[in-house]
Amino acid sequence: MKPRIVLVDDHALFLAGVRAELGDAVDVVGTAGSVADAVPLIKELDPDVVLLDVHLPDGGGDAVINAVAPDRPGVRFLALSVSDAAEDVIGVIRAGARGYVTKTISGEELAQAIERVRSGDAVFSPRLAGFVLDAFRAGERVGGDAELNELTPREREVLQLIARGYMYKEIAARLHLSVKTVESHVSNVLRKLQLSTRHELTRWATQHRLV
Amino acid sequence: MSTAALPRFALDADRRAIAGVCAGIARALGADVTLVRLVFAVLALAGGAGILVYLALWAYARARRVWLTVLLAFVAGALVLGAIGLSGSGIFGIALVVAGLWLALRRGGSLRPGAPVSYLGLGLAAIGVAIVVPGGTPTLLAPGAVAAALIIIVGPWLWRLVRDRDAERAARVRSEERAEVAARVHDSVLQTLALIQRHAGEPQRVSALARRQERELRGWLYGDVPLGNGAASLEAALSTAATDVEEVHGVRVELASAGDCPVDDRVEAVALAAREAMTNAAKFAGVDEIDVYAEVTEDAVAVFVRDRGSGFDRAAVPADRRGLVESIEGRLERAGGEARIASAPGEGTEVELHLPRRAQ
Repeated sequence: MKPRIVLVDDHALFLAGVRAELGDAVDVVGTAGSVADAVPLIKELDPDVVLLDVHLPDGGGDAVINAVAPDRPGVRFLALSVSDAAEDVIGVIRAGARGYVTKTISGEELAQAIERVRSGDAVFSPRLAGFVLDAFRAGERVGGDAELNELTPREREVLQLIARGYMYKEIAARLHLSVKTVESHVSNVLRKLQLSTRHELTRWATQHRLV
Repeated sequence: MSTAALPRFALDADRRAIAGVCAGIARALGADVTLVRLVFAVLALAGGAGILVYLALWAYARARRVWLTVLLAFVAGALVLGAIGLSGSGIFGIALVVAGLWLALRRGGSLRPGAPVSYLGLGLAAIGVAIVVPGGTPTLLAPGAVAAALIIIVGPWLWRLVRDRDAERAARVRSEERAEVAARVHDSVLQTLALIQRHAGEPQRVSALARRQERELRGWLYGDVPLGNGAASLEAALSTAATDVEEVHGVRVELASAGDCPVDDRVEAVALAAREAMTNAAKFAGVDEIDVYAEVTEDAVAVFVRDRGSGFDRAAVPADRRGLVESIEGRLERAGGEARIASAPGEGTEVELHLPRRAQ
């Protein structure tokens, strides 16, 4: 069955473009251009995946996730953006998005990413992998709860390869792992990012704006 | 100069000893009642001034008669000054200063920017000063009183001058900033829009231009990277290189980074080598996407340039092709780093550039 998706983006042109590029791969059941419109729409339609812009006119993508998630835990979010301020992207991921891709992604890749998110996996674009490595490195310098604040050497290795442009399959071959194991490493990183309550991450975000 | 912020003075009937004036003052000022009463007692010793002030405030609180209060306060002030030992003309002079200042400062007076200066008030105050100075006041008081009077008269005016000058400077800074933004937007965004209009028929070119502008604008908005030209950081330098390669060769360069650092000679060597690697990939790999990842840690800079293209056999590269040897490996070596190239026919190529950072 095709995934049912909702597009949330305030650029009408972009909405139309994504719709056309995705073609028959998915079933676009609704679109919204603001947080206020998106929240009731998503609750009503209960789609499989929401493609969510990081910036909306009346708030961030994280506002949508925070409002929807308690009522519709089954809905998965994939952040999609051209605006790459690292702290904004990390903010949406921490709110619960299962991944982040840039708007320059091809239709085919986007369809794959949606499928992956629907099945509960994480989708890390190279850029997001870079942001996450950077964020965790800031946390490691400061210390704290090691289990949540640090990446294992393997996780770091996987993220570095993603940042270098390797696909899961290629990473698996290079590290002599199964693709499933690579996926679980990525999901673990996502979990750490979302669960860690460390203020170091916030500090990192603040510093990042200043650097 | 807002007196409205102060609590209103009113008689405090709950804690009164006589009429509640002292308690009322204590409440309005947030001071200790005993202290206020002590001050009044001391003033009362000064020719009975404390009693007059007390009456004045009582009259003010009961009837809100400003003129009566002012009159009583004036007399009280005169009594105090007399008690200290000032001559009659000294007291008259000081009264003139006070009256003049009251005229000058009333309703915010010269303290507000743009308010008319009350020359009558300032004139009265000045005459008062003139009378006080030669008026045979006690030697200890005279210089201090004159200085204080001058500060009080001229101070607000000077302060206003400074304020006006600051406002002017702020306005100038703002307009300069606006001009700077306009210039940068003109040099980059507007130029790109013009280019896009001219090349509307060539989708690949238009999309490369748009990507370049997007990246540049993003760098400026979020990363403080100068818009237009010049690279202040490794990421900015790589971003410029990626954009140029995209434009010249019509490929897509996906740039990711973790950490960033300022550009010095050695880091610039890395950026230039990375640019060469991107160009090579665009020219020879036969792909339309190149991945670039830069990682800056405390001890090292690493840049990875990767394509999934045709790859090559190192041994089969003609010796006269110097690009790899000179522009990538040689450059890194001179900078104190190392370049590694991993490639095999049909398996794509990855160039890794490593540069240790010197201890800071």
